[in-house]
Amino acid sequence: MAKYTDKIIYMEGIIVEVHDGAVGIDLKGRLGFLKIPMRMLISDYEIKVGQEVGFNMSFIEQLSPDVNEKYISNIQKRQEP
Amino acid sequence: MSISAEYAEEHKSSPAVLCCRAEEGVVLSSHNLEDPEIFDDLVDQGLLKLDGCLTIGDVLGAKLLKTCDSLTPLTKDLVALADKPAEAAKEEAPAVVAPAASVGAVAAPALGGSLKIHIGEGKGIDIQIPVGALGGTSGVPVVSNAAQAVAGNAGVAAPGAVATDEEVVVRSLTRKHFKITEVKRGPETKLEGTVLTIREGIEKECVDSQKLVVDLKIDIITPDQYHTYSNTIMDVQPIATKEGDDEVGTGTTRVLDGVVMVVSGTDENGVQIGEFGSSEGYLDENIMWGRPGCPDKGDIFIKTNVTIKEKTNMERPGPLAAHTATDLITDEIRKVLKKADESLVVDTETFNQVRRPGKKKVVIVKEIMGQGAMHDNLLLPVEPVGVLGAKPNVDIGNVPVVVSPLEILDGCIHALTCIGPASKEMSRHYWREPLVLEVLHDHEVDLTGVVLVGSPQINAEKFYVSRRVGMTLEAIGPDGAFVTTEGFGNNHIDFASHIEQIGKRGIKVVGMSFCANQGALVVGNKYMTSMVDNNKSEGGIENEILANNTLCTEDAIRALSMLKAEMAGEEVKKAERKWNPNVKTQNIELVSNVTGKPIELVENETSLPMSDKFKEKYMNA
Repeated sequence: MAKYTDKIIYMEGIIVEVHDGAVGIDLKGRLGFLKIPMRMLISDYEIKVGQEVGFNMSFIEQLSPDVNEKYISNIQKRQEP
Repeated sequence: MSISAEYAEEHKSSPAVLCCRAEEGVVLSSHNLEDPEIFDDLVDQGLLKLDGCLTIGDVLGAKLLKTCDSLTPLTKDLVALADKPAEAAKEEAPAVVAPAASVGAVAAPALGGSLKIHIGEGKGIDIQIPVGALGGTSGVPVVSNAAQAVAGNAGVAAPGAVATDEEVVVRSLTRKHFKITEVKRGPETKLEGTVLTIREGIEKECVDSQKLVVDLKIDIITPDQYHTYSNTIMDVQPIATKEGDDEVGTGTTRVLDGVVMVVSGTDENGVQIGEFGSSEGYLDENIMWGRPGCPDKGDIFIKTNVTIKEKTNMERPGPLAAHTATDLITDEIRKVLKKADESLVVDTETFNQVRRPGKKKVVIVKEIMGQGAMHDNLLLPVEPVGVLGAKPNVDIGNVPVVVSPLEILDGCIHALTCIGPASKEMSRHYWREPLVLEVLHDHEVDLTGVVLVGSPQINAEKFYVSRRVGMTLEAIGPDGAFVTTEGFGNNHIDFASHIEQIGKRGIKVVGMSFCANQGALVVGNKYMTSMVDNNKSEGGIENEILANNTLCTEDAIRALSMLKAEMAGEEVKKAERKWNPNVKTQNIELVSNVTGKPIELVENETSLPMSDKFKEKYMNA
């Protein structure tokens, strides 16, 4: 369980990619990029590149020093030619 | 903000807190009180303490003894309660020994006078009063357990139900089962005994049939090969066909047992179709076996691994092409199944769509994805879970489509939904839909039909379809309705709106969705009082295990009991503020106590094997 989830920060971003199933969002202030499925975007208007979005988020924390071998194995499979 | 008199009446037992400054001597009314709905947040943030706070019912009409500021909880020393007639004696025992302090309020005897028990400080208190001592009516202890959604007295038929009303069979569906024990490749597709052969080279035709498909491989996975790596599983489908000219939902269906079609794939760059929480990995570690939508242990998989044109994995035509290409193989199997000899039938099952006049009418509303791309469903194909003849519900505008329960069970939905493996309802889910089966077979309710409604992306469209759901149900005129949804996210907005539209027409409604921690509802309204959480995961999250958190029989039983209780006029207790898995356990217990039938709970992800390396670490830790 993450420890600092109650540090809620209001964030804004810009829609930079629109797909049928997903949108890509640049976080303002060069704080990263987020790609989310359509289902997780609440929209009142037709979605367009350049629209701004807002949301609350918290810091991202490591949950433990352990590596989950399942994900390692998936990453390796993906890199295979 | 002050509340209305009507609202105050509804929340009589909630804490009474001033919404704004009030002067000494004022007679308290709803205008002086704050909305109790916001208190939980204020308490969490330490801005409000409700210890010793009186209830709204207590303070209405009482006089304020002291001028107070806004957000002051009204306690005994601030309000002159004497003006109010004594309704019930109150205990006031600081909980030193917790169990002893829960005395509970005692109803006042009807003969007049009041019994007042005042305990200044309590420890190990036992109060025993002979029932007769309280006069004519016995005191009824009102035991208030922690507020939890409880199914109440389930299994009670409507008192008005007349026994003479006879059941009417509207239509029937027969399933003929053909057993398959081996699947192999050969020069032609054929079914011999229990051996299914798939034509070699069919892959090329699949690829050629779809512009966007660049490659397709078929893997036949037998139970001893379950520990095989697979790209994300997009769908699990039964292999079935109609006999003669029969239509989906009626007549006879032939189905192969022991074998399922599994659609999987990536785009040319190796990106999973249905990226985000994909279920790629070793099959045995990523599938919640036996869920309605999943393969069962022992099933042979005919798994297609489809490669679609790069960057089309997130566009509508991409996933559809993968499904259509796979269906070419299924369709060839359907053709041989149609011709298969009758002697190969191992089992015959008949489903009757029964109407029960005089019983409470119920409708099942199933919200299905309709945001676009893989959030789509092909409705009403010619063959069970086929592609030909079907209309994507996105193209229909996501408006409600009424189908019969038997059409659902006969594969009228070819599911493309690809996101959120743990909560997605795959094609096989509808083939074995537990809620439809449970309600259809219950003799105390009259299932009128199933309403499928898509979930569009934009809010205005969501409310558009939701109003149509309301009108559809108004026309059907049921006593109760279920609203189910798969997944979570913005589809919870229309989910809530459907419940509102149905509830405000005086129809009792029970909602079903994966919620728990991660899928907590984004919105709510006053009709959302009865909810069943489909979560099965340990942590209450989307755990990437295929179909782990989908609707199962145990959820259907709870929802049906809850709706019956609601329709019988019983109150469903308020849910706790945060997700608490014990609510489910208690409800299951309550339901099985009343029905006398134990409810077997399905396993969750903890029953799956962990990868060897992970296990090694885990064991050494």
